[in-house]
Amino acid sequence: MSETISTEAFQVLLDRAGIRVKPEHMEEMRSAFMLLQAMRERVRKPRGYDAEPAHIFAPMGR
Amino acid sequence: MTALHDLTIAEAAPLLKAKKLSPVELTASYLSRIEAFDGQLNAFIRVLPEQAMAAARKAEGEIMRGDYKGPLHGVPIGLKDIYNTKGIPTTGHSALYKDHVPEEDATTTRLLAEAGTILLGKLSTWEFAIGGTSFDLPWPPAKNPWNLAHDPAGSSSGSGAAIAAGLAMGSMGTDTGGSIRGPAAWCGISGLKPTYGLVSRRGILPLSFSLDHGGPMCWTSEDCALMMEVLAQHDPLDPGSADVAKPDFAGSRQKDVKGLRIGVVRHFFESDAETDPEIKAGIEAALVTFRELGCAVTDVTLSPLSAYGDAAALISRSEAFAFHEETLMATPELYGELARQRIMMGAFIRACDYVNALRERGRLIAEIASVFESVDVLICPTMPGVAPKLGDLGNMMSRSRPSFTRVFNLTGSPALSVCSGFSTAGLPLNMQIVGRPFQDDLVLRVGSAFEKATSYRDLRPAQWAQQALAAE
Amino acid sequence: MTGDPTLLTIREASTLIAERKLSPVELTKACIARTEALDATLSTYVAFTPELALDAARAAEAEIGTSGPRGPMHGIPVGLKDIYDTAGVATTAHSNLLKSRVPAEDAFTVTKLRESGAVITGKLGTFEFAIGGPSFDLFTLPARNPWDPARTTGGSSSGSGAAVAAGMVLGATGSDTGASIRSPSSLCGLAGIKPTYGLLSRRGILPLSQSLDHAGPMCWTVEDAALMLQAMVGHDPLDPACADVAVPDFTEKLDETVKGKTIGVIRHFHETDHEAAPPVLAAIEQAIAVYRSLGCVIKEVTLPPLMDFAAVGLIIMSSEAFAIHEADLRATPELYGEIARDRISMGGLLTGADYVQALRRRQELCAAVAEAMIGVDVLLTAGSPFPAQPIDNVPKWLMYQKPSITMPFNVTGLPALALCAGYEPGTGLPVAMQLVGHPFAETTVFQLGHAYEQATQWRATRPALLAA
Repeated sequence: MSETISTEAFQVLLDRAGIRVKPEHMEEMRSAFMLLQAMRERVRKPRGYDAEPAHIFAPMGR
Repeated sequence: MTALHDLTIAEAAPLLKAKKLSPVELTASYLSRIEAFDGQLNAFIRVLPEQAMAAARKAEGEIMRGDYKGPLHGVPIGLKDIYNTKGIPTTGHSALYKDHVPEEDATTTRLLAEAGTILLGKLSTWEFAIGGTSFDLPWPPAKNPWNLAHDPAGSSSGSGAAIAAGLAMGSMGTDTGGSIRGPAAWCGISGLKPTYGLVSRRGILPLSFSLDHGGPMCWTSEDCALMMEVLAQHDPLDPGSADVAKPDFAGSRQKDVKGLRIGVVRHFFESDAETDPEIKAGIEAALVTFRELGCAVTDVTLSPLSAYGDAAALISRSEAFAFHEETLMATPELYGELARQRIMMGAFIRACDYVNALRERGRLIAEIASVFESVDVLICPTMPGVAPKLGDLGNMMSRSRPSFTRVFNLTGSPALSVCSGFSTAGLPLNMQIVGRPFQDDLVLRVGSAFEKATSYRDLRPAQWAQQALAAE
Repeated sequence: MTGDPTLLTIREASTLIAERKLSPVELTKACIARTEALDATLSTYVAFTPELALDAARAAEAEIGTSGPRGPMHGIPVGLKDIYDTAGVATTAHSNLLKSRVPAEDAFTVTKLRESGAVITGKLGTFEFAIGGPSFDLFTLPARNPWDPARTTGGSSSGSGAAVAAGMVLGATGSDTGASIRSPSSLCGLAGIKPTYGLLSRRGILPLSQSLDHAGPMCWTVEDAALMLQAMVGHDPLDPACADVAVPDFTEKLDETVKGKTIGVIRHFHETDHEAAPPVLAAIEQAIAVYRSLGCVIKEVTLPPLMDFAAVGLIIMSSEAFAIHEADLRATPELYGEIARDRISMGGLLTGADYVQALRRRQELCAAVAEAMIGVDVLLTAGSPFPAQPIDNVPKWLMYQKPSITMPFNVTGLPALALCAGYEPGTGLPVAMQLVGHPFAETTVFQLGHAYEQATQWRATRPALLAA
């Protein structure tokens, strides 16, 4: 996962999210997203398939 | 006497205990059947003859010494090849994991071994429990014992086929969207997706952790209950494992179903999903049987099937992609096309879609809990039709036919598929029986009562029997 | 009584009320007068409701007169962060989007507070939707710090922090998804606790991020926070995350000795991972010395890097917040202030896999912290790495640039208390530390916090503004 993102690729993500960003905020948002990219990278640790599960889910009655 | 391979676990257990049946003899019989027939069926990825015979001799010694461990002692079983087996390859039916040899047993693998079962081998599956029915993997897909030209369903395809064909007395499957119940339905056997958290997933290759369940597949529901007695153990190593009292599987076997309230989710199969008339007729006939057994039958209403299907799809694709993204990016060529395509869909799901699916899930769980205030079990079909021809599965899966099984992965409810008769073409019909969380014993009791009140358990795959006779 | 009743602690005021030496009406009127004098400077309230407060105070006074106080909160003026629903009184989350939203029901914890006899004075300012602030493009101004009105209170429970420090109320409710009780408590010199996840119901509190949101009290002293928490607690089956646990008396250990307690200092959090300002570092060393002198055992604890917790928290928070706000953000983005809009929008760019990976990492972090806490009674680190900054110069993306020192305990759900650890020389701005306990071990956290307050003089100093 790259920590940089092109203006075009960033616009695709915004479109998919349905977010309108004012032109004057565009660069600021893109810079902030690059910091977020680093965090997305950070939560991905090398793990095998049998690493401990993502989370638990409790049905009613538990 | 019934042929060895036609014995149920419940029938074999007293013979084994009484030393009238030898585990060695029983295991040898199954191994020779596998040897003779699995070339056509492809239920096994790997057969373990030496290990199985050694385990059988050990079991025999133990039983002879009076060290009888219980109804599974000496019983030959198979494991879907996503259950980790120490020192034995566990492939997920994938080129990616072709040489994956686990260092530890899955918790369930260990529990079954400790109960004295004999592991015959590892059973074929859809690749990583999601990609199937596929023809581009290192091993061929399993076939349906009722008609070798037909699909056994997946993903626990080998587990279903092996039981129906009499190549094992019990098997383990996993179920994230229907992967135990689908093959149970199309192979005409009994398969239980237990309550979420009742059976440990530690050491089972995950597909989607909040929807994954491990569970037993056997010829009868009674046999599934015998397996569950061993499998239902709290496991601190599976964070999803529930620390609850074990349901009373043994006690439940002694009780009847008189007075139980059955809720029929009629809109599921009459309006929400196109369902074959023969499947519907099978359900109606079953309801007559249940009324005769003293059950009260009413219709109930849940949210439309598609509400469950959409939430479950968003959750399972997101979770599956999270597990596979690293290898999928690095070595996509090691996945079969179907697994790759299906897992890849997860890349397009936004975090908020996943979060909203979890919120919707909470609502649907609350809704089903309120329905369970007035009924004891729910009934609907497992699959909307009978097994299609092998290779035609793609046509079966469409939005006009949303899944009946995924519903209960989402809610975590215990859900059992049983055989409810046969189509005119001789393929098994199916029915799903669903209960409240942790009332798996009740669900199995209802399934067992139905099987005993009908004669469908007396019929083994005809074509198989003919071929078997011809071979002998 | 003589003197200014608004500067009493809840404990002191409730004792005087029980002895009939202080009237709830008199106390409430003093708080109203204080508010009228200072609110133009501090912009504390979104909706101040003095008439409702006086009605409640009179009712309390009458009841106490005939049958005595219900408990220590009876007749005590408290304010509510404006994301706590109040029946019949607008609850806006400080957002133009909800400016005229009037709930039909009280939040569960508001009901509990009313049952305790607390006098509710009104709705306090917050960062918009508990995430966007300090903002100057909303329908009211952001709260200012009573220690220096040119500075921020921290957030998001900004009005709560300012109102308690300024003696406008004796306690206030806050909510905390990443820092929002502890940051304003730290920067305004209060004691504020984010309890264990699941201890308090969040029903009727506008959500930011369901799996990280916590409710909690903010007060002048640790003892007061314990008393107010007691009044808010109760099992609520309608909050799916609310735990059904036995509730202790949170004050039961306050007077027990802390001798022999083990304090684990997470030095790398405040010294390297997010290096704190010199006065904060000095205050922490002094606090460690105080605990040593009280007979505590001090040891150093190493946890995973602070940035790991921050990344997990930020991804989960952004994802959940966007799920809640997506429809409104698309339909009427102009009804959000810029900071809230930009911060929440970022969550729309994440994938389901990002969220799942963050959940996986969250579990690993929880396990690592649980293991590090074996043999440790509480963890200690900074409450905020820095004292209050100028209000017009708070970086919008600070949480992206520097890892939050409070987020680890939203991620792990552990009870975390922020308390005043002194004042910056020169500016007089408060500096703070955090004490963190085992799950549902709030009593131990309060015990150690209270012992520190008793051993130091910090609680004797109020903002200079109050003397003016």
